[in-house]
Amino acid sequence: MKNFEHINAPDLETAIALLQEPSAKAIAGGTDLLTEMKDRIQTPALLVNLKAIPDLKFIKEDEKFVRIGALTTLSDLECHPLIRERYPILAQAASLAATPQLRNAGTVAGNLLQRVRCWYYRHPDVNCWLKGGVECYAEEGVNARHAIFGSSPCIAVHPSDLAPALIALDAQVRVVGPEADGELALEEIYRLPDEGLRERMVLGPADLIAEILVPKRPESSRGVFLKAMERATWSFALVSVAVQIDFDGEHVKNARMVLGGVAGKPWRVREAEKLLEGQALTEELAQQVAEAAVAGAQPRAYNAYKIPLTKNLVKRALQKLAG
Amino acid sequence: MAKAVKLRKPQVERRGPSKTSVRLTVNDELHEISVEPRRTLLDALRKDLGLTGTKKGCDEGTCGSCTVLFDGKPVYSCLTLAIECEGHEIETIESLAKKGQLHPIQQAFIEQDALQCGFCTPGQILSIKALLDINPNPTPDDVKRAVSGNLCRCGAYPKIVQAALQAARQLSKES
Amino acid sequence: MPRVVKTQVEFEGRFYDEYVVIEGEDVPPWSAQQEFSVVGQPQTRIDGVERVTGAAKFTHDIQLPGMLYGKILRCPHPHARIKNINTKEAERLPGVRAILHSANIPKIPWRMGLTLLFDQTLRYAGEEVACVIADEEEICEDARELIEVEYEVLPFVLDPLKALEPKAPKVHESGNLFHNEPEIYERGDIQKGFSSADVTIEGTFRTQTALHNCMETHGSVALWEGDALTIWDSTQHIFGVRDVVAQALGLPKHKIRVIKQYMGGGFGSKNSAGKYTVMAALAAKMTGRPVKIILDRHEENLAAGNRPASIQTLKIGAKRDGRLTAIYHKSVVNVGAYATWGGGTTGPTRRLYACPNMKTEDYSVFTHLGPYSAFRAPGYVEGTFALESMMDELAKKLRIDPLELRLRNYAESDPATGWPYTTKGLRQAYHRGAELIDWQGREAFKRKYSTHTKKIGFGMASQIWGGSGGPPAYALVKINPDGTAVVVTGTQDIGTGTKTALAQIAAEALHFPISSVKVELGDTQLGVYSPLSAGSMTLASVGPAVRVASEEARKQLLDVGAQTLEVPREELEIEQGEFLNRRTRERTPVKAIFEKLENFMIIGRGARGPNPEKKSVNTFGAQFAQVEVDTETGRVTVQKIVAVHESGRVINPLTITSQLEGGIIQGVGFALTERRLVDERTGLVLNASLETYKVPTVQDVPEIVAEMVNLPDPEVNNLGVKGVGEPPIIPTAAAIANAVADALGSRIYDLPLTLDRVLTTRELP
Repeated sequence: MKNFEHINAPDLETAIALLQEPSAKAIAGGTDLLTEMKDRIQTPALLVNLKAIPDLKFIKEDEKFVRIGALTTLSDLECHPLIRERYPILAQAASLAATPQLRNAGTVAGNLLQRVRCWYYRHPDVNCWLKGGVECYAEEGVNARHAIFGSSPCIAVHPSDLAPALIALDAQVRVVGPEADGELALEEIYRLPDEGLRERMVLGPADLIAEILVPKRPESSRGVFLKAMERATWSFALVSVAVQIDFDGEHVKNARMVLGGVAGKPWRVREAEKLLEGQALTEELAQQVAEAAVAGAQPRAYNAYKIPLTKNLVKRALQKLAG
Repeated sequence: MAKAVKLRKPQVERRGPSKTSVRLTVNDELHEISVEPRRTLLDALRKDLGLTGTKKGCDEGTCGSCTVLFDGKPVYSCLTLAIECEGHEIETIESLAKKGQLHPIQQAFIEQDALQCGFCTPGQILSIKALLDINPNPTPDDVKRAVSGNLCRCGAYPKIVQAALQAARQLSKES
Repeated sequence: MPRVVKTQVEFEGRFYDEYVVIEGEDVPPWSAQQEFSVVGQPQTRIDGVERVTGAAKFTHDIQLPGMLYGKILRCPHPHARIKNINTKEAERLPGVRAILHSANIPKIPWRMGLTLLFDQTLRYAGEEVACVIADEEEICEDARELIEVEYEVLPFVLDPLKALEPKAPKVHESGNLFHNEPEIYERGDIQKGFSSADVTIEGTFRTQTALHNCMETHGSVALWEGDALTIWDSTQHIFGVRDVVAQALGLPKHKIRVIKQYMGGGFGSKNSAGKYTVMAALAAKMTGRPVKIILDRHEENLAAGNRPASIQTLKIGAKRDGRLTAIYHKSVVNVGAYATWGGGTTGPTRRLYACPNMKTEDYSVFTHLGPYSAFRAPGYVEGTFALESMMDELAKKLRIDPLELRLRNYAESDPATGWPYTTKGLRQAYHRGAELIDWQGREAFKRKYSTHTKKIGFGMASQIWGGSGGPPAYALVKINPDGTAVVVTGTQDIGTGTKTALAQIAAEALHFPISSVKVELGDTQLGVYSPLSAGSMTLASVGPAVRVASEEARKQLLDVGAQTLEVPREELEIEQGEFLNRRTRERTPVKAIFEKLENFMIIGRGARGPNPEKKSVNTFGAQFAQVEVDTETGRVTVQKIVAVHESGRVINPLTITSQLEGGIIQGVGFALTERRLVDERTGLVLNASLETYKVPTVQDVPEIVAEMVNLPDPEVNNLGVKGVGEPPIIPTAAAIANAVADALGSRIYDLPLTLDRVLTTRELP
């Protein structure tokens, strides 16, 4: 790690002001940032510690939302009765992420903002496009963990487990900062990097997520989160599927389906959602939706397996919701 | 647990990049060390406090050998900055045996032979301690989840699970 | 009087003739009926307390006053020549004490002269370029970044088949084929064998490069006191480290002391000194301060060795009744930039089955990748996977039960030498394993529990390995005036429980309670040579020496006791650490005698005797796997492994199951998830971390039922023990692969059996 100055921000306003200094960086759980700093992929001159800011660690409800404070840890989320009861997919996603130790330290906001796991990006000796280099090494290299959807010079996938689950729940984030202020759909903070901007978030360096707002769902709403991993645990998703469906009796009133591990951002499959609307969940429909979910997927040399895997996970998720 | 020292509120001034004074509460004792902000809790424990029971297996939050309890919860001390531990309580493997008496988890590890090389053992034990502190009657699956972030290359896993269950039985007998 | 004897020594599946010195007389082996009080009983580790309290000092934990740290700068190219190194900026950094590199360090030959400690030609990405010594590790890292190296980037080759092509870039001047020729073995007439076969089958198997990932990374601490050097090293071979450092630095051996008390795993990767060891010693000399160099996880996975990838073609001919008539096995192993020996994988083929006609060819090929080192049963894990997969294919073709096919080809004597075995418990292992997994009931089980998408499968595989141990290995047993005993050897406990087993042997032979026995090891200064802790040879080498020393010490104790107590020698015995007068049943504490003798200390000496001549000493076993394959996600879940092994007498049933489970779990990782990934265009390793290189977690572990066939070997040594460190990893991947093939109805010929392979091999509906 390169050395740095450190400050415990007493409140959000101070934090935002400090983060506007050149080469300043916010740290919360630190479970992602510190690994990049150790490999000198990131070398901030100032670390602004957000953990001392009061009132950013909570799970509470009001009339419309369950509100999750930015500093809430993944463990808090996984274990909280309100989350387990109302949003099982979120509890499932949290419980399948990383390891207990990382979930005890890692925060919800940090998880949503984490950097890609691409082994070329993370390699200290590779100056890839995303790091300011000229090419994406994965494009012609070992792209077994890379995107099958989306067009971008960088084919790394978005690694968060929480993001697909939260987007399936139509979550919003309250952002504070100089470049973005107010509430916006979580889905909208993600973008695919392009030549104009090699960033995966619309947020600026001093923009902070203060809280996540998860709309309350009708009683009839059910969800499933499934994650395929290389081993039983402690792996980023090869593919994940988050589905949340509001039912009207046997029939789907509306559905949201988001895939993880397959694109540079959490991948909403609107075609599949449309197919579900108004229908009863049958085996046949599940098959159809699964096909629709991978429509347009473009396999690369080593990741063709993600197509059947995605399809089957989607099918399985729908079977679970039907059964 | 009786608090041996008063926790101090974290400072709000800018510190570093040169060495700065950091106050750590480790195993109920307050220590003051002078380190750069980049000092990890792991290095502070091992180098500045001489508590080498906490191991460095990867230094990047992937193996669990450096597990300590941070306010009672297991975390990777290699991904924790020492400077950010002020005002918190850290517990390491060195705190478990009291007055020469092994903790029941330690005793169970020996009896079940829940280790081979022993390098991951302190981390495994602390993860189990955190589990048993909140769940005195765990299932084998609970134990497996609790140590799922502690890699053991010798493959002592089956016996680690057995040791945790034995310790749980022992602890509930004692209480 | 010392005797010099010639003996055959087996190490890592290879045989060597050695002259060794045996002192004193060996003692007759314990009989199969011998009754024991300590040996054969489950014994918790005598150093358990240290290991569970954090008190155990590993090399990583050595902190010395004034100690400096070293960090190594590594080459980012798979093949390059250093044109220039500029360290000026780095040296200016406060806290930097020295920077070692090719321009300021004498040429020290390394890897049998294939390279130098600091070579100007670099042959893999991750090879050592320079070493920064500074007050803190963080400063080393800051300085490392400031070193400017100008490289001439050279063409490279990563694929072993391409490396054998005439125009391939050369890894070494001498060529890309290790020893410039394949290792060829033949017996019988292979042409005749195949022409007399009713059926022949052929297959090509690929195994991946696997990384040891010991939890404690490699490292050393060096301290000079005058002209004497002390080294703490995380090593499986303290004497080996001493010898390598002595040669590298031109020092007399007696000036070097190597210490290893606790180590965090080795698995074959720590069989010798590393470059970091010599660098620490050099830097400590240059700076006048102790120096510690510990590899980080990434360096560990680039430079500390691996189980090399193999491409194996097997052709088997058999009669309709399953009897083998011929086997041809060709193996190409990618040994990376350096290898001390070939990476042969054909050992099991040569030695497992009674097959009269055979030819094996082993090509060990240099490429511009990280160096090969032994990894728990090197070659045999890979070779057994190929052979036992092929045997299952043969069974399928002939419609013979896989276990029955193996029994029909059971070797009653060593097929390679024709010699009889000292013991062979493989048949018992087969039968007991089949019983434990309910081999006969497997089809019914599959029908009952398989679903449309989750297929259950069963498979099995056999294990053969050496594990005889052998001389030279020596021990002392001292009896203190207080009636406690100390075993002194130069071996090391790498986590296997050596210390505890040696204490059991000493306690048994001395007739002492184990609580009165201490074991000192892991320090060359003790001066009692023992071999490296590798090749499943530790206990079978050192244990017999400890027994001889203990028996001798007990005899001396009885002599002294009889004279001091003034009773006839034959009336006296030792029981539970006390003198017992057989006639009067009177007990006298040992220390009561010594009180009369002031500080007299009994010292018994023991040496490991030679191995039996013209006999084959092997360990055997069988494993059975039950798997579930999820055909929708491609995930293979190993539900159960039954393992039954025969390694002679069991000294400690508690720690031996730890060994068995540990080997099996590493085997599960090799079968399912572990593989080093390399970028073909840059030659860089992509998954050098424990997040990307997937070793098994606790949740990946199947139910394991592990048993030993306790079959004391009457000839191998005075204990009847053979090694068990490596055997349990050998058949696991093969058994799992056979179970997966059984579940899917078709075979995947490549390891590991990752979900991408399962998904793309099997077309889904």
